Amino acid sequence: MTTETAYPGDDPHRLLSNTRELARRVRKEQRATWFPLLVFAAVTFASIPVRRYSGHHLDCLAVPGGRICRVYSDAEFVYWPIALVLAYVVIAAFYIRRSRARGVGTRVRPYAIAGIIVAVALTGVALWELHNPPVDQNPMGLNGLPDRLASPGAAIGLALLVLAWAERNRALLLLTLAYLAAVLVPITFGLVQHDPPWYSYPVAFQGSVLLLGGIGFALAQRPLRSPAP
Amino acid sequence: MTGHPANGLDDTVHQRVRLGILTIAHEARRVEFSYLRSNLELTAGNLSQHLGVLESAGLITIEKGYAGKRARTWVTLTKAGQAALAEEIIQLKLLISRIDGTGTSGN
Repeated sequence: MTTETAYPGDDPHRLLSNTRELARRVRKEQRATWFPLLVFAAVTFASIPVRRYSGHHLDCLAVPGGRICRVYSDAEFVYWPIALVLAYVVIAAFYIRRSRARGVGTRVRPYAIAGIIVAVALTGVALWELHNPPVDQNPMGLNGLPDRLASPGAAIGLALLVLAWAERNRALLLLTLAYLAAVLVPITFGLVQHDPPWYSYPVAFQGSVLLLGGIGFALAQRPLRSPAP
Repeated sequence: MTGHPANGLDDTVHQRVRLGILTIAHEARRVEFSYLRSNLELTAGNLSQHLGVLESAGLITIEKGYAGKRARTWVTLTKAGQAALAEEIIQLKLLISRIDGTGTSGN
């Protein structure tokens, strides 16, 4: 066999289909979708005791016809940026280590960079919103959307969209859209009160979506996770 | 471009193994020699020969190094390699359209 041999496989149909098959195989090898999902599920569940057992502030703003009050936890503004940045560092390290073991490059860099930028930016927006609450805000309705868009859950979801694009992973795209819906649509399970202790219900739900998604992808990608010989 | 789409094919790229190398390197950004060898089912000598052709044409760069104590050879696609791969895919699609009789004239 020499370099210039004309193979039967040089037929254009076959060349193109081989090219597509190789590209598909490499993309499958590169995916480790289960790992970031499980990491963020853990980070989300860990935020529940942080919020529940840390001190809370009550800030009220006089508006025509009454007052708007917000309850928030300082610890959350420390926990989330640190937890998210650390999570992206761990995820990037995992992907790079795996890539070296398998001998095939990874597409994690845009995801990790986007994730860190979104996490820092949304933390800034959340802090700004805290000191500049919109008047006539109803946290349960559409007016509460800016709050939810600036939430850690939205930061995780927006970065997952980048991962779905980088991995060209339609299943992850669908899961991320479902997750973002869970984050952006107020889910109260019939409970009107939105502050502690009920805070944990929507967050636990979001964490469960990530956990189940992570388990699902881990099972689906399991045969491809065995180390290369 | 004028004439039959086959005239637009680059002999360096229009070859099953080399097209496979470029495709994998494009998807992977950076790929190791052993990964290419196992996925393309080639001997080390045969793969080296194809890599040499692609490197001479400026379509890939080859980097040798170590991962721990193990010697590794990494292959990266150059910008010229990306362009050549994209052009090859376009020409293949045109050629298939011609063969199937459903495409444009190719002019």
